[in-house]
Amino acid sequence: MNLEERIRVEPDGSLTAFSGKIEFGQGIRTAFAQLVANELDVPVERVRVVLGDTDEVPFDFGTFGSNSIAQEAPALRRAAAFARRTLIDRAAARLGLPAKRLDTKDGTIGDGDGKRVTYAELVQDSPLTGAIPDDEPLLPEGRWRHIGTPLSRVEARDIVTGRARYTADVRLEGLARGAIARPPVRGARATRVDERAARAMPGVIAVVHDGDVIGVVAEREDQARAAADALDIDWDTPKAEASSTQVVPLREDAGTDAAIASAKLTRSATYTLPSIASASIGPSAAVVDVRGDGATVYAGTHRPFGLRDTVADRVGLPRERVRVQAQMSSGTYGRSSAPDVSIEAAVLSKHASRPVLVQWTRAEEFAYSPNRPEAVLEVAAGLDGEGRIAAWRYDEHTNVHTAAGPDPRVAAMTSGRNAVPPYRIPHAKVVLHVEPTPLRTANFRSLAAAENVFAIESFVDELAHASGQDPLAFRLRHVDDARLRRVMERVAEVSEFGTKVPERRGRGFACTEYHGTYVAQVAEVEVSASGAVRVLRIWCVIDPGLVVNPDGVRNQTEGGIQQSASWTLLEELRHKGGRVATTSWDTYPIATFRDAPESIEVLVEGDASAPSTGVGEPGAVPTAAAIANAVFAACGARVRDVPLTRERVRKATQPA
Amino acid sequence: MRLVLTVNGATHEVDPPPSASLLSVLRDDLGLTGTRFGCGSGQCGSCYVIADGRAVASCLMPARQAAEREITTIEGLAQGDHLHPVQEAFVAEDAMQCGYCTSGMIISAAALLARDAAPDDAAIRDALAGNLCRCGVYGRAIKAIKRAAYTRGVAGGSPPAITRGVAGGSAPAMNR
Repeated sequence: MNLEERIRVEPDGSLTAFSGKIEFGQGIRTAFAQLVANELDVPVERVRVVLGDTDEVPFDFGTFGSNSIAQEAPALRRAAAFARRTLIDRAAARLGLPAKRLDTKDGTIGDGDGKRVTYAELVQDSPLTGAIPDDEPLLPEGRWRHIGTPLSRVEARDIVTGRARYTADVRLEGLARGAIARPPVRGARATRVDERAARAMPGVIAVVHDGDVIGVVAEREDQARAAADALDIDWDTPKAEASSTQVVPLREDAGTDAAIASAKLTRSATYTLPSIASASIGPSAAVVDVRGDGATVYAGTHRPFGLRDTVADRVGLPRERVRVQAQMSSGTYGRSSAPDVSIEAAVLSKHASRPVLVQWTRAEEFAYSPNRPEAVLEVAAGLDGEGRIAAWRYDEHTNVHTAAGPDPRVAAMTSGRNAVPPYRIPHAKVVLHVEPTPLRTANFRSLAAAENVFAIESFVDELAHASGQDPLAFRLRHVDDARLRRVMERVAEVSEFGTKVPERRGRGFACTEYHGTYVAQVAEVEVSASGAVRVLRIWCVIDPGLVVNPDGVRNQTEGGIQQSASWTLLEELRHKGGRVATTSWDTYPIATFRDAPESIEVLVEGDASAPSTGVGEPGAVPTAAAIANAVFAACGARVRDVPLTRERVRKATQPA
Repeated sequence: MRLVLTVNGATHEVDPPPSASLLSVLRDDLGLTGTRFGCGSGQCGSCYVIADGRAVASCLMPARQAAEREITTIEGLAQGDHLHPVQEAFVAEDAMQCGYCTSGMIISAAALLARDAAPDDAAIRDALAGNLCRCGVYGRAIKAIKRAAYTRGVAGGSPPAITRGVAGGSAPAMNR
C-alpha cells in the first residue's frame, strides 16, 4: 500500500490518517490518533483521523469482531514509521547532515540543539509518497510518548458541547424528510397502494412505491409521517419459504459419547437465552443525496464499502459514483451492519430528487431492526476419577447471526463463535445447529459468544460444585494458556475471590478468550427472598495484548459489563404472531442509572509483547455467567434461563 | 403558527406547524442539533433541555408552551470556550462512549447541581434515572457529576481521585 493512502503530511505539518473502520463510541479514532502521533513524534492534537469515507480511505471489509485495533494498529504504525523515515531522509538532504544523526521532536527534525526543519517545510515542494515496506522498523519502546498513555476521547469536547454531528444532524441544502409505510408482518408485499390522500397532505413532495420501499418525502418529518400513515395499502403475506437447519460440527472427537457414558460422574443441563434488541438510544438514520450522476450516503454503518455497493446497485448507479461518508453514530453494537435505512433514504431521494433524511421512530427501531437471535444450549459432560473433565458434548441451537443471512462458510465463526470451550478436554463434540426463523436476526455485540460463554461458564461452575471442587481451581486444572491463567488468577486476587461474604450475598466467576483478548470477571450479588438480584460489584481483569489507550480499554470494558448485566437481568424481546411485541422502553426496559452496580472495577493488564487486540466486545462476554454463578453462590438458585427474573430466581432457590 | 422562543438567552421567531414539539423546532428550525431525538415519548432523556431551571423532555413539550419559558440547550451551557463544570468533568472522566445520550445527561446533571450543590450517589442516580445510556457509562457519569460538584467549589474537600469504578451509594435490584 502507498503511504498517501494511509497518512498525509499536510502543508501546515499536521497529519491526516485514513482508515476504513468506523467510530461508534469504541474510541478507535482516539487510539488510531495515538498510534500515528506516537510513531511520528507529534502531539495527538496534530493528527486528524478520517474514518469510513469510501472516497478517501483504503478498502475495508467492515468494523466488527473487535478487530479494528488488531487489524489497523500494525498498518498505521508501519505507515507512520515509513513517513517518519522519509521525512528524516528529506531533512538530511536539506540540512546537509547524515540521516543517522537526525532525530524527530514535536513535528521537527534536527541534530540536537542545532538547526531544525519542520515537517511542513519538508513537504512544501512535494507530498510524501512511496510503497510502505512490510518490514518497516517501528520506533523503539523507549521513545514512545502516546502508546500506553490514558487519554479521553478526542471527540469529547464536541460531544459535551453538543457540537458533535450524528447522522440525523446532517443538514444539506434542500434536505427533505422521509417516512416509510411498513408491512404488518415481515416479508408481506403490497398488492395495492392508494396514494391519493397522502399526495394531498401538507408538505408532501413525493409518494414513492419502488419495490419493497413504500414511503413519503415531505418538507418536515411530522408531515412525512402523517402522509405515510395516510397511505392506503393492501398487503399480501406470502407463505414463508421452507428452509432447513444448518448443522455445523465445530469439534468432533471420536468416542466422545462413549467417554461420557463411562465417566465417573456425569451431568447435563440446558441453558436458554432470549432474543434481545440492540436497543440503540438513537434510532437508525441515514441521509442520502441521489443526484443524476451519483449519490452520497451519510450514515452510521459497520460496512461503508459494502453499503456503497448495496446502495449503488439498488438505485442503479455505478458503484464508483456512490460515496459513503460514515457519520458519528449512536452505538448500535452490530445492528448497523444491515443497510436498511440507507436503502430507504436512497430510494426516496432518487424519486424526490432531493437529499432525504430518514430516521426511524423508537417503535420502528424495536419492531423492524434485526436482533440477537435466541439460543438453546445443551451441554453434557463426564468427569474422570480425579475430577477432571473427560468428555464434553455441546449442542448449540440458534438462528443466523449476520445481516448477510445464512452462509455455511461463516457459520462456525459467527453463530458458532466461542462454542468450543477454552479448556483442555480429551474428548469433545461441539455441534452448531443454525435453525430458520421468521424473525429478523443479525449481528449483535460478540455474536454468539455471549450466549455460548454463558452456558459454558455456568456449566463448568455446576461441574465444580457437583464434584466438590472450588470453581476457580477446577477451571485452572483445565487451562494451558498462560495468558488466560494470568487474568483468572489476577481477578481472583484483586476481588479476594473465595473469602466469606455476608448472608444472601455471593460471588461468581467467569472467563473467556475472545479474538485474542483475555477476560476474567468476578461478580458479587445480593439476592433477596423475593428473588431480586442486586449486582453490587464486578471485578474484571483484561489482557488485550499491547495496550494503546488504557483508559479507552477500561471504558469499553466497563460499558460492556454494564450492558451485559442489563441483558442478563432485564432484557427479553417478545414476539406475537411474527411481530415484535416489545416496542417501547416501557415494554423493553434496559438498565438505568438506578440499576448500575456500585462499582465496576476493571484492571487493564495487557501483555505488551503480544499484538494489540480488541476490547469492544470481550468485556460483555463473561458477565452473564459471572452473575448467574454469583446468584447460585448467594442462594443456591441455579438459573439456566436468561434473563434472571425474580420469579426464576425464586423458583430455583433451594430451601435452606 | 408564529412563536417567539427564548433559547440560550437569545430570542428567535419561528413559524412551525401548530403541533410541533420543542425538539423539532430546536433541531429543524433553529439548527440546534445537539439536542437529540431518542424516543419521542419522554422515556430516554436524549432530548432533555432546561426549561425554567428544570430538565424536561423537549420531545413532549409543545413549542407553543416553550414560548413562555427560558430554554437552555446543551449548546447554551458553555460560556464561549469556557465549559460548564459538568461538561469539563465529563471530559475529564471520559464519561461517554458513542455520546448520543451525553447531551441529555449533562443537561440533567446541570439542572441537578443548580438545585443541589453536593448531591450524593443516590440523588445523582435519581436525578438521572430518566437518562438511558446503552453503552453503559453510568459509573463514569456518576463520578463526573461528583467531580463537577467539587470543582464548582460548593462541596467541601478535594475532587475525587481518578480511581476505578464507582464509590458507594444504594443501588436497587436490577431484575424485575
